[in-house]
Order: sequence, then structure tokens, then C-alpha cells
Amino acid sequence: MSKMMARRSDVQTLPISFTLNGKLQEMEVEPHEILLDVVRERLGLTGAKRSCDVQVCGTCTLLVDGRPVSACTTLAFEVRGRSVLTIEGLAENGKLHPLQQAFIEHGGFQCGYCTPGMILAAKALLDENPDPTEDELKHFMHGNLCRCTGYKKIIESILAAAEKMRSKS
Amino acid sequence: MRFEKEVDIRAPKEKVWNFIWDVDRFIACVPGCKEAKTLEAGKRYAALMTEKVGPFRVEFPITIEVLERDEMSRIKAQASGADNKIGSRMKIDLDVSLREEGDKTKLSFVAGVDILGKLAALGHGIIKRKADQVLDDFAQAVKRQLEGDA
Amino acid sequence: MLRRFRLEEPASVREVSELLGRFGESAKLYAGGTELLLAMKEGLVQYERLINVKTVQGLNEIQSSDGIIRIGALCTHHQLENSPVLRQSLPVFVKLEENVANVRVRQVGTIGGNLCFAEPHADPGTLLIALGAKLVAEKTDSRREIPAEAFFVGAYETCLEPDEVLTEIQVPLPATRSGIAYLKFGYLERPSVGVAVAFSRNGGDSIGDIKIAVGCAGPAPKRVVEAEEALKGKTMEEATQRLAQAGQVAGRAADAISDLHGSQEYKEHIVGVLLKRAFQKAVSQG
Repeated sequence: MSKMMARRSDVQTLPISFTLNGKLQEMEVEPHEILLDVVRERLGLTGAKRSCDVQVCGTCTLLVDGRPVSACTTLAFEVRGRSVLTIEGLAENGKLHPLQQAFIEHGGFQCGYCTPGMILAAKALLDENPDPTEDELKHFMHGNLCRCTGYKKIIESILAAAEKMRSKS
Repeated sequence: MRFEKEVDIRAPKEKVWNFIWDVDRFIACVPGCKEAKTLEAGKRYAALMTEKVGPFRVEFPITIEVLERDEMSRIKAQASGADNKIGSRMKIDLDVSLREEGDKTKLSFVAGVDILGKLAALGHGIIKRKADQVLDDFAQAVKRQLEGDA
Repeated sequence: MLRRFRLEEPASVREVSELLGRFGESAKLYAGGTELLLAMKEGLVQYERLINVKTVQGLNEIQSSDGIIRIGALCTHHQLENSPVLRQSLPVFVKLEENVANVRVRQVGTIGGNLCFAEPHADPGTLLIALGAKLVAEKTDSRREIPAEAFFVGAYETCLEPDEVLTEIQVPLPATRSGIAYLKFGYLERPSVGVAVAFSRNGGDSIGDIKIAVGCAGPAPKRVVEAEEALKGKTMEEATQRLAQAGQVAGRAADAISDLHGSQEYKEHIVGVLLKRAFQKAVSQG
């Protein structure tokens, strides 16, 4: 309770600090604010998309402490003290992440709407399992929907990136 | 959704018929229904219908319109209302008939229930089960009321 | 969009129960939010307050002692699918958890929330009934153990009192050579039918205790004693011959309802098919 302070007597706000794409972010949120709205509208990072809004499609996927969550159904205050990665934070020093590069090289997207979520989910997968079988990959990724590609190119992209990432490390 | 129910009541037809028009007592037999009001005797009535499935609650202010009335034998009515808070509407077409069988009266009713709007997100099956239960409880409550003070 | 609400962050189960008692139906317990927030966004439910139970320490542990596996109610599905204790002692539960919804839901959704929200199309309750699990409910001054089969009252309804908090799930460690399986079938986001079978073996080759539970088909997961009776005490061979009959009995007893997931008749049929397969799977593992 001590962490809360009221801006107006009837409005409760929560001061939160968290790491956003590697940088410290401090802000105040109200309890009902949704992470996706905060990231897109208050922080201007529009890579994560709203689509189904019921945790089925994966277009709003963000990584919180390296694990995928649906930002559309996450209360913003929940990221206090944690580390949030959006697609905007994936490239380092202007150099695309191997997953991003692989999606380009293997045609892993068409309209691109699902791509930020796809790539972040795939990153979470490869971070915990650098050498997934195709079945393991499908199981992990089945909650990220794509309505263009038929998934084949996406699977190829992720497996290619995995190979590249393994050979580097 | 269509429901058909029948209940045998150990009471003469006239008593059952009169009970139906004793709106306060009759409406009180509908589980979750209260605040019965007569807007125009014999024609239009109002009530507040509340229902609950787990944490989901609805509150429909409904108006009931009597469409047809065959003395001592049949009533057709329509009840409708909207819950603006959760954005849902309800419509019930009710066909009630009475038949004398020995010392009992058979009360039959056919109800066509339509529920529209967000409430439908709970799933047709769940709502149907709930409506069925409400109608069963209603039939039993009517029976209890009429047989209790026989 | 969510409507504005206040957040309470209690530190103990006692405080949670007090808050629930004080604010009644204007407040709701909030854990993973995977079900609750969807209903709130849709506008189907509105609360003035959410009580964040995740600020209570010690409710997210998994331990095995004295023949009982104790699972804290705040354990996420992700924790359960990766638990070394469960992998060793209850792999059937791990398998179930690996296939709940998707990786994002499993990341934040809790077992306690899943059980308490009592969404009819959920997996864990069905298996917990077959395993003879007990659910521990606490409030300010009392604590009780509820058999899983008595916990679910109807769709979205449990037997918890308004100020009771589910804190722990206790699963008896299965006897050696017992056979346990959970199978589900569905073609939408959530399962249409789930069937769980758990039996122990008498000396020799006959079935000792057996529990069968059916979920998703009806308003709430339920134990189907009628189907258990058909198999109890039988040799494996006799039981195998009676599977079709037991499946029919279980289908009828499942209290299936017609909805988008399938008609009543269809679900009753699938219950039979899954029961047969689950039994065979349990036999092959026992």
C-alpha cells in the first residue's frame, strides 16, 4: 500500500519503474491501464499490435523478463521491477537480430502484422531452447497466428536463425 | 431457444387462472424477478428480472405485454427488456395454457427465449441450461404457491 | 478498454479474506488475469476493486512430502509444466499443463485462477477430480479441504464462500503401477471434451480403485461414478471388453450441453471415444 499515492483522491496511480528495451523507464500508471496501450500510446512504441484482444493471436506479444506475454491482457503495473522487450529493442547498434534477418531472407512475412509478435515469441523459444525440433517449435509458436504465409516460411526463418545463432555462440 | 414445460397442480382451474392475474404473487414465482408493477391492468406489466451465472449478473427491467387472452384457458404474452450496463437484450414469447384434468389443472407453457448482445459470449449452452432451470423453478414455485394454501 | 478500478495489494491470506469480506461483490480476486481481464474488457463484469493476490508470499511453491504433492494456488501453468517435482511424480499433469491454451496464457495464468474462475472449457479440474485431489480453502479464521469433485458447482461457479481463498491443491502421490491419463479433444481455442482416468491395480492384474472424470462437455467437470462401476475390480481383459459400455455410460452421465463446441450427442460420443483411449493409454503406462 505504501507504494501507492493518489494524484486525485478518487484516482489511484502507481509509480512504476522497469527496464524498457534496456533503458530504465519510470512512470505512473493507473491500475486499469493495459500494457499494450501504455507501450503503444504513452511510450510511442507501435510495433506490438492489437488484434484479437483475447490472448489468442499473439500480435501483441512482448517479452517480460524474457518470456512472452499478451500485452493486450496484461495490466501495465505488472511490469514494475521487470524487464520489457519490444520489437523496437531487438536490433543492436543498428544491426538486425539474426531472427529479423532470417525473416527477411526466408520470406517469413507478407503483410507483416504478426511479425513483431512472431519474432519476439521465437526469441523466447530460442533463448530457452537453442536447437528446437520442428515439433517443439510448432508447439511453442502455435499461439502466434499468421493469416498470410501458411507458416512454412516462418518455421524456415526461425530454424535458419537458430542455426546461425548456434554457430555464433 | 424454445422451452416447453408442464406442471400438474392440485387445484381447480379457476384458482390457477386467478393466481396468474394476481400479478405480484405470480411474478414472485419467477426466480430473480421482483418489483412487479401493473401499467395497465390485464394488458401491460413491468418487473425487474435479475439473473446470475457465477460472477456474471444481468438486470433486465422488462415490460410484459399480454397479447391474447382466452378466459380460463390461455394467455399469450411477450416480455422484453435490455440490460444497458452489459449491453444485452432479452425477449421472451410466452404461451401459457390451462387444462382441467380431474381434480388437477395442467399448466403448460411454451417459452421462446432470445438473448442478444454480449451476454451471448457466455455461450449458448450455458444460457440455455440456466433458462431451463429458471423455468423449472418457476413451475415448481407456482405449484407450491397454489397447493400450499389449498 | 477497462473501466477504472482500485487495486488492493494485501500481504497475507488473512488480509485477502478480510478484503473480500469487506468489499463483497464489488471486489474480485485477481491473480493471472487471463480469464478475469477478458470478462472485464468485454464489460461482462465490473468491479470497483481488484485484490492482487500475487503480493501474498508462499503461494507459488510445489512440494512433495508424506505422500502428498502440494501445489500452491499461485503457481502458473508455466511453472507446473516445468516443475521437477511434477515431472518426476505426476508426469500426466505436466503433459496437461504443456497443452493449456498457449505459451503466453501459461506464462501468467495460475492454477488457482483456472480452478476458481471455473470456466467450463478448462482442463485441470477434470484431471484433479480423477486424481482425488483436495483443494485447500482458507479465510481469516478457518481452513478446510474440499475434494476436487465437490469444488465445482456449475459453469463459473464453485463452492467457495465469498471470503474464502483457494491456497493449495493437494494431490495424493499415485500408487506404484497405477495408470493415469488425461485426453482432450477440440477444434476451437478451448477444448470441447476432456476425459481423465486414474486407477490402481490390485495384486495380480485387476483394477483396484478407479476414478473417471469428464470435463468441458457440460457446465462443470464431474466424476462419473457410473462408468467407474463398470470397470472396477475387473481384470484388464474384462475391463477392455467393457470399455465401449463404460464409454456410453460416461457419455450419458457427462451432462453434455449443445454449444459451438458440438451438439450434446456429439460430445457424448466423444466422451466414449476419449474414455476408451485414455484407459488404454493409462494401462500402457501403469
